[in-house]
Amino acid sequence: MFYRLLTLNWRIFISNLNRFQLLLTIGYILFLGIMLVNLVGTALVVVMMDSNPWMSVELPWLTPDIYLFVLLVFGNAFWLLHFSFTNMRLMNIEENRKLLGFGFPLKRLAKYLTIIGFCHPVNIIYNFTWLIFLLIQVDYAFQVPVAISAVALNYALIYSIKHRFIQVVEKRFIAVVFGFLILVFVLFQLISLFASNSSRIFAELIPQVETVNAFLSWLPGGMLIQTVTEYYGWMNAGIIFLFSMILVGLTVIDHFNKTKEGLLNPGLKKVEEESSTLWNFLRKVLGRNAGKYYFYVMKHPYNRLQVLTLTVIPIVYVPLLMNVEYEIAQTILIPTILAGIPVALLAMGMANMYGYENREFLLHLQFPVNLEKQLKERFLGVIILPLVVFYLITVFELLVIPEIGSPLEIFIANTFFFLMFMLLFVWSSYFQYQRATYSSFSYKHPIIPQKVTFAISFLIFTMGYFVFVPLSGLEWYRLTIMSTVIVIMGIYLWRHMDVLVNLFKNRVLMRLWNEL
Amino acid sequence: MERAVEIKNLVKCYEDEPVLRNLDLDIPPGTIFGLIGPNGAGKSTLIGVLTGLLSFEEGEINIHGMMLEPKNELEIKKLIASVLQPPLLFEQFSSLEFIEYVCEIYEVEKEGLIEKAYSLMDYFDIKDYAKIKVNKLSAGSRKKLAFVTSVLVKPKLLLLDEPFEAVDVISIERMKNVIRRLKNRGVTIIITSHILEVVENLCNDIAILHNGHIKAYLDSVSRKELQKDASLQEIFEKYVEVEQKDEIVDWL
Repeated sequence: MFYRLLTLNWRIFISNLNRFQLLLTIGYILFLGIMLVNLVGTALVVVMMDSNPWMSVELPWLTPDIYLFVLLVFGNAFWLLHFSFTNMRLMNIEENRKLLGFGFPLKRLAKYLTIIGFCHPVNIIYNFTWLIFLLIQVDYAFQVPVAISAVALNYALIYSIKHRFIQVVEKRFIAVVFGFLILVFVLFQLISLFASNSSRIFAELIPQVETVNAFLSWLPGGMLIQTVTEYYGWMNAGIIFLFSMILVGLTVIDHFNKTKEGLLNPGLKKVEEESSTLWNFLRKVLGRNAGKYYFYVMKHPYNRLQVLTLTVIPIVYVPLLMNVEYEIAQTILIPTILAGIPVALLAMGMANMYGYENREFLLHLQFPVNLEKQLKERFLGVIILPLVVFYLITVFELLVIPEIGSPLEIFIANTFFFLMFMLLFVWSSYFQYQRATYSSFSYKHPIIPQKVTFAISFLIFTMGYFVFVPLSGLEWYRLTIMSTVIVIMGIYLWRHMDVLVNLFKNRVLMRLWNEL
Repeated sequence: MERAVEIKNLVKCYEDEPVLRNLDLDIPPGTIFGLIGPNGAGKSTLIGVLTGLLSFEEGEINIHGMMLEPKNELEIKKLIASVLQPPLLFEQFSSLEFIEYVCEIYEVEKEGLIEKAYSLMDYFDIKDYAKIKVNKLSAGSRKKLAFVTSVLVKPKLLLLDEPFEAVDVISIERMKNVIRRLKNRGVTIIITSHILEVVENLCNDIAILHNGHIKAYLDSVSRKELQKDASLQEIFEKYVEVEQKDEIVDWL
């Protein structure tokens, strides 16, 4: 029965993969192999470093306290990695629960699914590395069962915490997003601070290493290390082992009950009233058609992640680059990153024109609403919103960081940048149209394909180099060329808005129908 | 007399495979018209063509005297409302937002609209879901919401594709009540259904569609005549040439 269940889940997994995803999966398996070797290798080096006589010659400062510090830092950093990457991909409950209808016993099904859920390869690699890392440090036999039970308990707790964390993320998306934003910002600022003052900080740290070690020992990674570095005798080992195993058992029972509940209550929908401030706002600002379109774009969790990325990157990098004493970084990288934001927003909007809202858009055909008008409003919406962001950024640059260039230079260069990419997206949407089945953030939702994301990033930085690199005496030639191109493109687009609509109707519409 | 729907030689293909073959059909105004047929007969395709969601290869369709062609398209669509199977709903809106959105497209007068929407939702026991997102509704509630919306846009022609599927018996009776009231106001209603009893009790005229053709058109007079000797089930089986296959499962 267990074999059949594995076969069923394997088939569900394989049947959902296209050829490209299959290649990605093979690559992923190779990556897992490399990851295992790297993790175990690093663990071995860290543990063995003080036993090698060469080390004491080359690294005279490696006292036992510093060695313990390195070990504890590694253990805690590894625990953080373990926590972050523990995979919570749950089994396909919807498909598996159908087995209940064919007489598969509920308890047995829940038990098997719980076990399969725990055995994700990434999770196994992390736990295996913990075991190697701890067991090579063992001095006494009684430490072995304690270390094993501690690794099991650690995994069970991480699994449980993450499970709850996922639920929290779903419920409080905005709070988590802003929390994450602040965390990343503070972290990068700290790294920047540490990098510029490392020798002073290190000199102050060494005398206090014992205190630091005492603190690190009681963090999760440190506690795991303590299971093999402390002497606590057989009696205490037995008690710790027993207590850990009881906790592991309780956690597994908890997951088993949750799986059972999930099997009996598929897709339990939370029926709650939701406010529609966003929809009302967008309808007022952009009109009914563009408003609905953007409302859908902003409702999609993966799009929200993309918006988050677009916000985090400049917030983190621009202040960092402002501190770098390298003029070219300020004059090219900062304006390029900032000019790239509206371009990325535009790309997001254009990509979604051919994305998941298509079905509903096409179903408007039964309503008394003009398709051309609808399309025109949507295109305008897709262009207007990034354009507003573009103007806000330009004003920000002029007021806050005027050192990156003169107002005229910034304004012309940004406008040129935006229009060039707009033409590129419009052109590629019609003539290079293909349904995206995987994206930077998700395999299943057609947002922006990875290859397009990479190609656009490359183009943005290349374009940034041409547009923003200082040319001193030749600057006026470049400004004249860019201004001329802007005027030509602007007049063309203004006069030929219908071209966009007709191209959509003639080139894309039928393909969308076929893909529904 | 002007017909509500007049179809001549309609041909609709899916990738060269004809689904509707030279179909002819006349439906008088103010009728509750039932379209029955086995799975794959082309019922939903015909509804799709009439709503404007599907194009057709050949033939002519007139709706209330206007030919279905690009220049009349918007005028005709203003006259039609539909409940499709599965129902067309915009998933990210709440029920009330969806109603408002569709009514805005149909340019329904705003005054009193919300009150009417609430009273109809109350009648179909979905008032509590007014501010709930559409994608959280159950199959039956979705069907009822689509029906309520189609009534609120005040159509002259109402197309209902399997309107009673997944709906509870009390709501089915209420839907029938609304359909009869609409008919009395002169609205033409086309219903497709697999439940023959419902069609038999509710509809004035019935057509049997099979293999893309109208095999029989039973108006109230001919129905009375035919149903003297046979039930609608028997008439249906006769026209769709049901093969007797019971012996295949004799082993049971």
